[in-house]
This record gives sequence, C-alpha cells and structure tokens, in this order.
Amino acid sequence: MRKVLFSSAIFLSLSGTIVLADEDRPGAAPYPWDETVVRELDFDTTASRGPDATQDLIDLGQRLFEGKFTVKEGAGRPEATQAIVPTKRRRPSQTMFQRMAGLDANACSSCHNVPFSGGAGDFTANVFVSEGFESADFDTSDPQFSNERGTNSMFGAGLIELLAREMTADLRAQRSEALKKARADGAPVTQALETKGVPFGKLIAHPDGSLDVSGVEGIDHDLTLRPFSQKGVFASLRQFTVNAMNQHHGMEAEERFGTQWTGTADFDGDEVEDELSRGQISALVAWQATLPAPGRKKDLPAVWQDAAAKGEELFARTGCTECHRHSLPLDSLTFLDPGPYEGAGTLRPTDVKTPIAIDFSRFDWVKALPRDEKGRVLVPLFGDLKRHRIADAARDTLGNELLSQRFVDRDVFLTAELWGIGSTAPYGHRGDLTTLDEVIEAHGGEATEARKTYSALDEGDKQSIIAFLRSLEITQ
Amino acid sequence: MSHLRKVTTKVITTLTASAFLAGTSLGLHAEERRASLAPVPHFVEEAASAGISHTYDGPWEFFVGGGVAIFDCNGDRRPDLFMAGGKNPASLYVNQSPTGGALTFKAQDTGLGDRLGTGVTGAYPLDFDNDGKMDLAVLRLGENLLLKGLGECRFETANRSLAFDGGKEWTTAFSALWEQGAAFPTLAFGNYVDRSAPGSPWGTCHDNFLFRPQGTATDRPDYSEAARLSPGYCALSMLFTDWNRSGEPSLRISNDRQYYRGGEEQLWALPADRPARAYRRADGWRHLKIWGMGIASIDLDVDGYPEFALTSMGDTKLQTLDDEADETVPVYRDIAFEKGVTAHRPYTGTDLRPSTGWHSEFQDVNNDSLWDLFIAKGNVEAMPDFAAYDPDNLLLGQWDNTFVETGDQSGIALERRGRGAGLADFNMDGLLDLVVVNRSGPASLFRNTGAGTAETPRPLGNWLAVEIQQPKMANLNGVGAKVSVKIGTKTIVRDVQIGGGHASGQSTFLHFGLGVSERAQVRVRWPDGDWSHSYRVFANTHVIIDRGAESARLWYPE
Repeated sequence: MRKVLFSSAIFLSLSGTIVLADEDRPGAAPYPWDETVVRELDFDTTASRGPDATQDLIDLGQRLFEGKFTVKEGAGRPEATQAIVPTKRRRPSQTMFQRMAGLDANACSSCHNVPFSGGAGDFTANVFVSEGFESADFDTSDPQFSNERGTNSMFGAGLIELLAREMTADLRAQRSEALKKARADGAPVTQALETKGVPFGKLIAHPDGSLDVSGVEGIDHDLTLRPFSQKGVFASLRQFTVNAMNQHHGMEAEERFGTQWTGTADFDGDEVEDELSRGQISALVAWQATLPAPGRKKDLPAVWQDAAAKGEELFARTGCTECHRHSLPLDSLTFLDPGPYEGAGTLRPTDVKTPIAIDFSRFDWVKALPRDEKGRVLVPLFGDLKRHRIADAARDTLGNELLSQRFVDRDVFLTAELWGIGSTAPYGHRGDLTTLDEVIEAHGGEATEARKTYSALDEGDKQSIIAFLRSLEITQ
Repeated sequence: MSHLRKVTTKVITTLTASAFLAGTSLGLHAEERRASLAPVPHFVEEAASAGISHTYDGPWEFFVGGGVAIFDCNGDRRPDLFMAGGKNPASLYVNQSPTGGALTFKAQDTGLGDRLGTGVTGAYPLDFDNDGKMDLAVLRLGENLLLKGLGECRFETANRSLAFDGGKEWTTAFSALWEQGAAFPTLAFGNYVDRSAPGSPWGTCHDNFLFRPQGTATDRPDYSEAARLSPGYCALSMLFTDWNRSGEPSLRISNDRQYYRGGEEQLWALPADRPARAYRRADGWRHLKIWGMGIASIDLDVDGYPEFALTSMGDTKLQTLDDEADETVPVYRDIAFEKGVTAHRPYTGTDLRPSTGWHSEFQDVNNDSLWDLFIAKGNVEAMPDFAAYDPDNLLLGQWDNTFVETGDQSGIALERRGRGAGLADFNMDGLLDLVVVNRSGPASLFRNTGAGTAETPRPLGNWLAVEIQQPKMANLNGVGAKVSVKIGTKTIVRDVQIGGGHASGQSTFLHFGLGVSERAQVRVRWPDGDWSHSYRVFANTHVIIDRGAESARLWYPE
C-alpha cells in the first residue's frame, strides 16, 4: 500500500472553475484525466478471490506495463542506483532520466513493444546493464562500464517460468537423491544432472553431505534454473519485475526496498513511500506471464510454407536443435505467484497466506498447444533454458561484453528462445545483427559445429532455414 | 509539486513500576523505546521438549561461570552442546534436530565421571591436536581439562599426554590461537579469585596462565610450560585479537572490579618467541574499571579494526579505536550510548535497578546483513542494588548504525539468571537459534522461527553459512582467519576466534545475514595473512571453503 500524503493544491480548470487536486479528495476516484498509472490492488484479497481475480490482475498489469509513471507516484530514484540490491548513490543524480544508468524509460512498453506491447525492442530500446554497484552513474556505453543488451520479448514468459520451476525441482531432487545415497553407502556418488531431456553436467555427493559442483554445466551451482534475461540470471518474472521497475523507472517495490530491508519506506529519496505494493507487482507478473506463447505465421504463400517445412527439418539436421530444442514438456499449468524458489527481497510463498494462482489451462492459446503422450503441454520455445559458451576467439561477435554478470562469464549466454524470432529483428544479445544469417554465422563456442554445418549448406538450404525461422512469430 | 512525507515515529511504551503498583494515573511514568525497523525474529523456548534438562548451580564459586561449548562432536556438522554444571555434572547433548524442525537433543555421557564432571564453569571447543576431531578446553574450579575428541561425541582426558597441568585455580576465562608458524595452539586460561590468599576475596585475584606449545612433536602439543600473566585481575573473559591489524595477536582480558585492587581491563601484547607484555598507560592503554563479564568482538564499521562489547554491571561498553590511536597505541573510546547498547537496566518489567550482563555475542539473528548483539543478563545471586528481574537483551542492528532492544518482542525475556550462552543454527534452517545457561534455573533453548511461529516458521533475510578449512595443515579450522563477505557495495567481515563471551565458546559454521542479496563473494584472509581469491556463492546455502580450492564446496543437511 502506498503511503503518500500529497499537499493541497488548487488548479484552475479550463472553464475557470477552481477544482481541487486528488489529494484533497481522499477515497475519491481519480479524475478521468489523471496522469498517474498506479492503482491499488491488495494481494491477499486478490489471492482469496481465486480465478475470479485473474482478469483484474491482468488488466492492472497491462496498465502498469504500458503506463508512463509520474513523479507523483514515485518515478525517479534520486538517491538510489539501479542495482538489484538497494544501494545508495554516492551523490544525487543530476538528471532524472539518463539513457545509460537510468531512468532509461518512462514505461515498460516504451522498450518492450515489438511487434506488440510486451514484445522485444529495436536497437534504440537497448538497455545498459552492469552489476550496478560500483559504477552507479556510468555515462558511457563503453562495455567496460556496462553491457548493452537488446530488449527481450516477454511473450510466453509464463510458460518459460513454469518450465524452469519444474526443471529446478527435478535437478534438486536428483541432488537430494545423490546425497542420500552417498550418506547411506558411505561412498561418493557421481550424479548426472538431467531434466526434460536437457543435460546439466554432473555433481559428486560425498558421504559427509558435501557436494562437488565443479562439474555442473549451464546452470548456477545452487541448481536454480534462472530462465530470464539474455544471461539467464533471473529466476522469476517477479524477481525480474522488481529489479526492472527500480532500474528503468525508479519505481521501488516495498518487498525489496521497503522499511524491512532498508530501514526506510523511501529508499530512493523521492519523497514517495512504498511505491509498488506486492499486489501491484503481482499484477505486472500476471500480465507478463499470460502473454501468449509465440506461434507460427498463418496464411503463408505456398512457396514459404514449403521452404519453412524444409527449413525446420534442416534446422534439426544441422544440429541447431541441440540447444534450440523444438519444445520442452510441461507438467503443470498452474502458475503460483510468488513462485517456490524466491529469496528474501522478492515475495516468497512463506510471506503470504495464500499465493495467487493462475490456471493457464483457461487460455485458448494454451489449449491450442500440442501435448505429448503423457498429456504434458509441449512448450514450443526452441530453446533449452541452459547457458552455453557461444563465442570464441574465432567468432567473437557474441562475446563482445567485457563485464561478466552475476557469476556468468562474459561469453556465456542462455540459449535464446527462438519462438517469435520472426517478429523480433534485430538479433543477437546486443540487437545489432540485422539478418538471421548474420546471427547464425556469429555462433562460436559450443555452437561451432552446428554453425559450420549451416555455413556449408547451399544457399537454397540456408534460405529454407531462414524461411522457417521467419515463420516463428509473436501473435496477439 | 509538493509532497508531504509521512513521518512515522514508532515507539514502544513501557509502563514502569509506579504505574503497575498504583493501577492509576498517579505516578505513571511512561518510557518511550524505539521500535526496531529491522525485522524482529521470533524465538520459541523449547528446551524441555528438545530434551535439554540442565541447571548450572552451586555455592559462591558458581555465581560466575555457567558456560556452554557449541561444536560438532560427531562429524555431522550439526552443533552439539557441552554445558557447564557447577556443582552439578556437566552435560553433553547430541543434536538430533530435523532440518528446519523443532530442536531435538539426546543426552550423552560426558565420560568425565563425578569428580571431573563437576566443578565445571565453562568450556571452549578447539582442535588442539589438528586431527580433525573437535576437542574441548574445560574450565573448572580446580583442575582444568583438555579433552581430546575421539569422534562420536566421546572424549578422553589428555592432560597427561599433553603434559598439561590443569592447575588448582578457579578458572573462568579462556582463549586460544595458533601463533604464526606454530603447529599447535597457544592457550590462555583466565582465573578468578584466589580463595586461599590472605584477605580473600578482596584484592586476591589469581594470575592468568599462558601455555605456548613446546617441543617439536608433530602429533600432539606439549604444554609443559606455563607462563604467568601477572598481575591477574579476576578475569571473566579473554580473547585473542588482532586489534591493530598487525598479524600479531594480543590478548584482551575483561576483569571483575568487584574483587581486584588497583586493577583494570587489560590488553597483553604477544610478541613472537618473547614473553607476553601488558599494555600500559604509556602505551596508550587507558584505565577502565568495570565488572567485566564477557567480551564480544566484531568489526562494525569494517575498517579492519574490531569493536569490542564488554558486559558489566550497569552499562555495557562498546569500544572502538579512538582517533588518537594508531597501530601501536590502543586508545579506545566508548560508543555504547550513541549506538544504543548500554543496556544498563531492564527494558521491561518493573525493576529499574541496574542490570548485570554476562555473555555477549555479535551475530545476525534476522539475516538483514546488520550485526545484532545478544547479552545474557541475570543478578549475581541476590544483590540488592541490582535488578532481580533482568531479562536477556537482543539488540537488533538498525540501518542508522544504532541498535534497538527487542528482547521482549522476540520472546527471550524470561525471568532467569543468564550466564553463558551462544547463538548457532541448531536445526540448519538458516536462522540462528539460542542457548542460554542460567544460574539456579533450567537452561533455555530458543528456536528462532524467523517471521513465523513454532508451527509455521518463516524465513527472514537471505543468509550464508561458511566453514573454512586448511586441509593437511596445522590449525585445520583456520583460527585467526578473517572471512569477508561482499554483497553489493557492502562488506561484512568476521574473525575466526576461540574465546570471549562468558565461559562459552563455539566452533560452527560462520553465519552471515545477506539481507536481500541472492549471492555473495567470499574471501578469506588465512591466519598467515594470505588472502584467498573470491569465491562466488549463492545465498541460503552452507559452503565449505578449503584453502587453495578453486571453488567452494556446498553442504546440505539431511
């Protein structure tokens, strides 16, 4: 709940009538021309309403995602950096907006808008990310201070998070089993890690309960699958949203920046307290989570259909689907907010009486997704939700960052989900490659063999693959 | 545009004696107490249900003491308990608490028998023979004991094999440290009143003793030679500390002014291969007389120089190096008042007389990344000028660098006379639990249920538990090391020490609260001064850092 008391203000209306500002009308509905975006939504009430509340959540989420925040409701962070851990600036910012260190956007949708709100962004919408602790007011795009990234599409994000949660549960269960066996047998146990057909290396469990995780691959050592951002460093839409609302808009969520963890309800020093409540963050999560999964272009001319069909087959044959897997199976369609693997600073299940539950099976676009023989929804993400080394000395285009982010090496990225890629040019994590051929040819590191196979194709086959990829689009 | 910021002043109103007695507004005295903005953890006392039934008791000699050693005696990394009993036998409790569940302990025979098992005032764990099994230094009224750990929570008395003369003194303090290049630890024993001296007890404090390992044996230390630290001023707590970042330990001793004459708090330099030497006024050491009971040490401002909390009767002291100090001149000033930790009288109830403080310990009980201070409190016996109802303190660190009392809100304010104590994560859920040994009353065992209840515990901030090891080296557990944890722009440091508190020591995972950080970078300055590289670890995990290892091992409880 926001706790702001605005001083009285009197304005002269166009007709010459004197009207009072909102602050003198406590409890009254905002004026139709009101500039503010934020509206109240109580988490517990919403959770207790069950499915009836889903559309209200989504509606407010859309409003918050697309609205332009005002200083009146907390936009700006004059005393706080963009860092994910509440961090004070060394000195107040000179300007409210600043393209690099932020605020870099007035609304979420001012970047996430290709081809629709919630989607990706053009190069002009690139974001500058860094660890954000030491260089709070960086003012250069030199990669030694920050990494420049393209805007990711959020379509299908709810299914991605559900997949990640199940994969995390699988991997942790394998870890527990290995530890149990090692303790029982009194001997080390080497456990291969695998979930939904994706291997994640191995770990060695010792009888004393200790783990050697040096063999774990493509995921953090805590076996939390973090499927969001180009690096794969955010575990949930909720964590991402709390981070982003501070970084991009200076809208600070109470659950991270509030009194409990900072000693003040106004950490960013803009004289607005508790700018986003848990309910409002849930609304943002709900809207992003329920953005439909990208699909395929319809009504394609026959020549494109034929090429795309051939291209999809070639895409697999070249080895691209080793990482860009066609689909991953999903067991449960119930999206609980908060999710099960949050830490302090992002709302946790233990912080609420009842989580908000969104049943994804209610959505037509989910009903349209294929299922496997076990009844599991096959999420057609064209990804594996795993990190890979994607650049090397011979092909360093995709390794152009100098800063590692959150323990992830600079040339390691999460496999980009290719669903919707036909709608999200330009390509690459910096959004600086204008054609699909360019971004495929830029693959190095673990993708070298597949890229070489692609390179060896004749032009017709390459075009078929492009036809296939261009057929994967974001639909509303 | 103008905003009127809502200013919220939170206070706790405490009605004092006159209000309770009169039951009217006559004489009503309301004392406002700041409320903690940092989250207050909930503690649930469950000693009885956990299987802990222990009382520290006895005549005058056991007005002081009452310590507890917290350590893993059976190799499962869960902290077990060895509790001093005074006239009662010492107790050993093996931790069987389910992870995240109610605390559960099983009593096990100490193996000391009636003669050696009684008269115990305190105990400190350490691995004095570097065999990887935790040993114990047991403080007694009479012969002190060095107990060699055999595993499975069994011990054997090693005084004879270590050529250690346990003496006949009334021992009430201990500290240990591996000096540079030493294969085995140097032990310091602090003694109280010499009851046999003429005029006892006034002005008859025993000397303290320093045992530096002798000889060249590699399998066990030789403590055949003891050096006197004279004069002794009735030590009730001692702690080896690198107060000046010199790499050379000094020994801080907190003394009880009740019995000494002309005494003071002490700091001894411990030059390598030379006798210990007391700092004097000429060295910058300033005269301070308190009823010193317990030392807690932490580097609050992360300047490399630790602060020291000293419990006493009345005001608790919090000392920091003064501007006049330098690396050879230990000038300290008291910042207890400005930090809000004087804890000079009970914070609740009707008794306005001064408090009596004993064990003190800095830990982060709510995992918000701010250090908190626990102080065990309790009347010596029936001293009329001091509070009879004197609840333990839980002073929570605040974001403005002060502390706020929350003992009553957190649930630890029992009407018991606290002595030794310790905070450790007994059920491995990432929340530090609390054990308090009380005089003439049952020991208290509190489970920290975080933001929840006994039935439904709920976590507070993120946390990290760190164990460090120096494999195949002396001083396996890295006593004397400094562990630095970086979260965002903030660094939290703590030293690996044996000593301090009140007759109570521990050797368990080092606990760090991480607040809202989901990961941290850990560096270790090993006892020889070498810094490790930075270990990248995620929050809410136990990690083991082996010296020289490329990455940290993880550890999971069953």
